[in-house]
Amino acid sequence: MDLMGDHKLDNNYLLEINSLHAGIEGKEILKGVDLRIGKGEVHAVMGPNGAGKSTLGAVITGRRDYGVTGGELRFCGKNLLAMAPEERSWAGIFLSFQYPIEIPGVSITNFMKAAVNAKRKAAGLPDLKPGEFLKLLKEKMALVGMDSAFAKREVNVGFSGGEKKRNEIFQMAMLEPVLGILDETDSGLDVDALKTVADGVNALRSPERSFIIITHYQKLLEYIRPDFVHVLKEGRIVRNGGPELAEAIWQDGFEGIN
Amino acid sequence: MDNCTMDNELQTDNELQMNRVFLIGRDEIPRKVRLDSGDTLSWTLVFLPCAGADVKVDLDVNLCGPGSSLDLAGIYICPTDEKLSLNIKVKHSAEDCSSSQLFKGLAGGCSRAVFDGLILVEHGAQRTKAVQESHSILLSERAVAEVHPQLEIYADDVECSHGATTGFLNEEEEFYMRSRGIPEAEAKRLQTISFLAPVLARLPENLRNEIISKC
Repeated sequence: MDLMGDHKLDNNYLLEINSLHAGIEGKEILKGVDLRIGKGEVHAVMGPNGAGKSTLGAVITGRRDYGVTGGELRFCGKNLLAMAPEERSWAGIFLSFQYPIEIPGVSITNFMKAAVNAKRKAAGLPDLKPGEFLKLLKEKMALVGMDSAFAKREVNVGFSGGEKKRNEIFQMAMLEPVLGILDETDSGLDVDALKTVADGVNALRSPERSFIIITHYQKLLEYIRPDFVHVLKEGRIVRNGGPELAEAIWQDGFEGIN
Repeated sequence: MDNCTMDNELQTDNELQMNRVFLIGRDEIPRKVRLDSGDTLSWTLVFLPCAGADVKVDLDVNLCGPGSSLDLAGIYICPTDEKLSLNIKVKHSAEDCSSSQLFKGLAGGCSRAVFDGLILVEHGAQRTKAVQESHSILLSERAVAEVHPQLEIYADDVECSHGATTGFLNEEEEFYMRSRGIPEAEAKRLQTISFLAPVLARLPENLRNEIISKC
């Protein structure tokens, strides 16, 4: 008997979004989104301002102020809507924030120790020993090209735009999600920072790990090649395609796509 | 802490320690302090949880000597039913003095924390710089944190400001932490430590750890 309403998928979809309606403060933003993400796939979600792109990321990760008014959200067959944000993280979902939050007084080391050990606890594993944790921290910092001096810095405090985004990718590397959602990771970055962040993401690509890349611009997609491109407009996915769709948008904008 | 009431006497200037951490309810805090020319006083007042406590702290600092400065900070943790009243008066009587005050606290349960802060800049105390900030986080709907800042300025070449906030923990911060897998309770604890951090940084490590363990 399946009391949780979970079901085994008859395909390999990692994330399945069916007719999702969601909004904030009574205003409907997502008006029936359908999206399926398979294992190891990279999906770009593009769209103009106000289309609902960031709302999609917030709803998948369980942000409390966004209410879901209809539809289904399944991750590895589990009903995501019944799970707290931390449970979604333990299940393997990671959101790279568009505007990463500053946490004065809490070092990156202590922050990540709390996160990594919480995930291990949820999986029935003991805390990492301090030495093991530091080794992992250094290894992942090196992977995303982050200076190890950042380990002692307060989370995002005094970081440049590029450093904040790189810290997001570092956290993603530490938590090793199966689905990474990048919410406008390219916004506010110069070309060099963009390339560094993209290199970090590419280093994490694997057949077992999928990505949703939320972006306005095609630029980031030159560095992180998506398998699929979706156009989100006025709360609905209005077009699906391959990488060529991103290029067409770059040429002609979103206006002609309905 | 077995005695949470306080009724201390005025302390004379030459007994003053310029750098000190006071545990409210345990250490005697001078009621009146006078700073002479060039003096720099850096004090941190700490109030730790003490169920049933009803404590009032009155502190008057008078910057009498030109160029004297005050750096005062405070932290209070009132998780249950504590009552804490801080009445801080900073008087600038001479030129070129500066004062900075930063108070941070947590009020939970049905506790009540009241901060009355007066900055008085007297006529002739030109080029005064005075800042006063008081921020409180409410951990329950029944807790009360009141801030009454007051500025009285009788000189015209001064830079004075005050800021006061009372609110709940920030939900966006909490979501950021939980989205990294940090459970709700631990996220709130980290947020609390983060909020208190600027004052915690002034304390010796053992006291800092004691406070963190109570968050």
